[in-house]
Amino acid sequence: MEVEISRRRFLQGSVALSVVAVGATASIASKGEEKPKIVGNYGITKTSKKEVVMIPTLCEMCVNKCAVLARVEDGVVTKLDPNPYFPKSKNMLCPRGNAGIQALYDPDRLKYPLIRDGEKGSGKFKRVSWDEANEYIKEKMVKILDEEEDNRSTFLFCAGEGMAEHTFKTFYQAFGSSNWLNHASLCLQTVVSGYGATLGTYPSADLENAQYVIMAGANRAEAIVTPDSMDFFKRTQGRGAKLICIDPIFTNTAAKADKWLPIKPGTDLAFVLALTYVVIDEKMYNLKYVAENFDGFEEYKAHILGHKYTPEWAQEITGISAKDIREIAREFMLYAPKAIYYPGRRSTFSKNDFQLRRAMAIFQALGGGIDTKGGLIFGKSLKIEEHEGLSPLYAKAESRAIAKKDHPKKGEAGYADCAIVSGGGSWIGWRNRFLEGKMPYKVRGMFVYKHNPVLNMPNSAKTIEMLKKMDLVVAIDTMPSDTVLYADVVLPECTYLERTDPVKTFGGSEPSIAQRNKVIEPLYESKPIMDILRDLTAKISKPIFEITKKYDEDVQEAIEEDGEEEVYADFDLTKPFLHSQEELNEHAVAKYPGAAQILKTKGVYYPEMDKLFKQLSVNEYQYYPENSKFYSVLGGKTKMASGKVECNLASLADKGVDAMPTWKDEFAFVVPAGKFRLLTGRHAQFTQSGTSNNAMLKDLIDENYIWINKRVAKQKNIAFGDKIEVSSRIGCTVLKAYPTEKIAPDMVFFIHGFGQESKGLNMAYKVGGNDNSVIEDTIEPTYGSSIMHETNVEIRKV
Amino acid sequence: MAKYAMVLDYKNCINCKACEVACKEENGILLGANYHRIWVGVNEIKGEYPFLNIASHTFYPSQCQQCDNAPCQEVCPTRATYYDDNGVVRVDSNKCILCSYCMVACPYDARYVDERTMTVDKCNFCSDTRLARGEKTTACQATCPTKVRIFGDIEDPNSEISQVLRTREHFTLKSHIGTEPKLFYVK
Ligand code: SF4
Ligand code: SF4
Ligand code: SF4
Ligand code: SF4
Repeated sequence: MEVEISRRRFLQGSVALSVVAVGATASIASKGEEKPKIVGNYGITKTSKKEVVMIPTLCEMCVNKCAVLARVEDGVVTKLDPNPYFPKSKNMLCPRGNAGIQALYDPDRLKYPLIRDGEKGSGKFKRVSWDEANEYIKEKMVKILDEEEDNRSTFLFCAGEGMAEHTFKTFYQAFGSSNWLNHASLCLQTVVSGYGATLGTYPSADLENAQYVIMAGANRAEAIVTPDSMDFFKRTQGRGAKLICIDPIFTNTAAKADKWLPIKPGTDLAFVLALTYVVIDEKMYNLKYVAENFDGFEEYKAHILGHKYTPEWAQEITGISAKDIREIAREFMLYAPKAIYYPGRRSTFSKNDFQLRRAMAIFQALGGGIDTKGGLIFGKSLKIEEHEGLSPLYAKAESRAIAKKDHPKKGEAGYADCAIVSGGGSWIGWRNRFLEGKMPYKVRGMFVYKHNPVLNMPNSAKTIEMLKKMDLVVAIDTMPSDTVLYADVVLPECTYLERTDPVKTFGGSEPSIAQRNKVIEPLYESKPIMDILRDLTAKISKPIFEITKKYDEDVQEAIEEDGEEEVYADFDLTKPFLHSQEELNEHAVAKYPGAAQILKTKGVYYPEMDKLFKQLSVNEYQYYPENSKFYSVLGGKTKMASGKVECNLASLADKGVDAMPTWKDEFAFVVPAGKFRLLTGRHAQFTQSGTSNNAMLKDLIDENYIWINKRVAKQKNIAFGDKIEVSSRIGCTVLKAYPTEKIAPDMVFFIHGFGQESKGLNMAYKVGGNDNSVIEDTIEPTYGSSIMHETNVEIRKV
Repeated sequence: MAKYAMVLDYKNCINCKACEVACKEENGILLGANYHRIWVGVNEIKGEYPFLNIASHTFYPSQCQQCDNAPCQEVCPTRATYYDDNGVVRVDSNKCILCSYCMVACPYDARYVDERTMTVDKCNFCSDTRLARGEKTTACQATCPTKVRIFGDIEDPNSEISQVLRTREHFTLKSHIGTEPKLFYVK
């Protein structure tokens, strides 16, 4: 066999990066900085022969939390290796995980507390001490809370995903606001809730043992999630498992698939309904499983057959042939229960996403592949003690700022923009209501933790407007992101390699507990969130309690009865932050003898690990022997209260949501001639905006390119690297062209997270295009999650 | 003394490039897209949307082939390129004069210029980093999510690599030119 293999890069990234020592060129970096202990520019060091300390920790370059062994030589982290002890990540680190060193030694990091010293967005800040920063926050908070008569909900708290999100949330709860927003409505809300409403939880996929997998939308070769991505790609293409990839564009997952079916974006629901039709019509489903474990199957059957969701019907909508649909439905049932319709994680791509997930869950269950080896599994988790928070009641704190419908009829959503308000809220719904003056009360301040709402949600211009309107924005972050640019106070958090985070339990067929251990002391003046909140709450707790005393009649009465000291104890914001994270972790795993110590030395713990863990070959390890893995824990039942697969949910109908997944004509999306449907997504070398300034990852992707169908590009006289302006109703962005046949003629695609406007990011500033300055800010009707794939754009060579 | 080689289960590769980053961090390779010891070869996909040929877009992870009969070593005038005791083709940067004959001679385009030292560099099986510390894996092997690589001693019949080579069909790249690569791709 002859293959021509060239070291020349085939696409994206042929541009050499000139590495220069970056000084304090941008105004966001303050003067008078000390040099941290790093070697060479960007900490590129060769590992040495010295005996060194290897510290086990967990990666935070994406949400996956792979286990890492950090090599520390003379106080410098020189290499991150995979830690083989963790069943979840099974001895791997992806490119981003390897490049974590560059996040630690990024010269553009936030190094000191800063207070804004110019217009919002100007990037002008002055360096202050921690005490000055906290003092400034205190004064502003006291003023705002006094003016709002102790309505704690006048402060919004928002956070990105991460192991320390919980620590920050503890602050939000103790503070007593009702306004909490996290990344869920920009990410996995609909999939988690869709599976939750049908199976009682969001299950994991046992891809290690599945023989047939439909991966629709989820691009696991590029948006890596362990353990499945590693296990599965070793077995596709005639090596034990069949992978059907359904995706409008040809991804790296498609390249590993046995079959790739390009689907019209946003029509997956029609595809799944037709698969369902085939197996019900041909009675190919698992009769026993359905009889024992389904609720409302007869109604669902009548619904599917009655609506005539035939493959021929779906062919028109999805662009996938009726023949393929029939074949896939039959094959799936042939392999079931070792067949998986992969749940995915991903963003909400279309309006019908919640119903799509319900339909997927039900289709999966029709094959009986629930709570069983090779199917979707619930697994087991090892219980750990929760960190006790504080939830005082403030009489004057308003409830969450949601706009309710004036006179909702039965069968209609009670809220103005979505049917159900989830814990993480609807970010876009909230922001737009704020801007449209539809808030039930004034929200005047916000705390943003490890979160970049300017870049991470559709319509960046609106988010900027919101940040400008806030009287106080406190940003806690590691990098001067586009959101930090609009903050009044910036508190520098240290990176994940410089802190211990809350110990976490990881459920699944091979459950374990893992801990992110501090590898080196925080550089500059950065601190872990626990320490940041300890100092901040010490500063603000008493002064803001004074405001409560002034306005809160319940508190006034209580003080009269019990005395101030006793009452204050329930409102003392400092309480949850008194202990160090290390102490809290020891407490959390106290019931497992020896676990606290093992977590420090090995990073991972599970009962009898010393006996069960074995190296099997140069690359492979055993965590649990096959016969003691937790594939089946409920005997096929689901985690719903009924123990059943719920096909027909009357409780949803009351809220105006279809009780059964239903296709509606309004789901059709039209691309007018001359326009293109914009799709967004991920590559394996990049995690959203958070990694955009990473010097090492820039080697792999220098910027994002817009995929344009080759024939269309030719017609338009567009060549590789030409600058293209992409514009929609809400805005525009400019990036370079990549003509390819991997995309349909009426679509364009580019990955998310580029096009930052913060000058503090020397590597990322104005590099590539920002999808969210173009994607329209519409939300789906169930949870108000943002819809990412329903924007038409025009493209123009500039 | 050993004879080090590598097996690549290339069909596992998802083209994530973790191997490239791990190699750079381990071996202190210069930042910059043009400087790397390891890469993934991929050809432009054949066909027109939606009729695309999946097999035409296969990923071929690659690096220096550690030829047993290495043209690069043969042409080197200063003997900067040499075989070490374990059969690994190495470059002694103190002797390299950047005549770049080796770069031209290498049929696999495995060599590049390290602009810090102005000498030629390429994969050396992590000989002066991981192997020197007694580790048994290379950086690219250890990090790989789909475990494409098996590194080991082919003179030891009990080594895993020897067993794999005995039991699985494999091929080498450009075998007809007689370079005798020690990177084996399994089918
Ligand atoms: S997948 Fe990559 S970035 Fe994510 S946690 Fe694992 S190593 Fe880190
Ligand atoms: S790390 Fe493994 S899967 Fe990723 S590109 Fe390298 S060989 Fe391929
Ligand atoms: S691949 Fe090239 S550099 Fe490596 S040994 Fe062979 S000829 Fe020399
Ligand atoms: S074996 Fe070592 S030097 Fe060679 S490519 Fe892999 S990591 Fe780099």
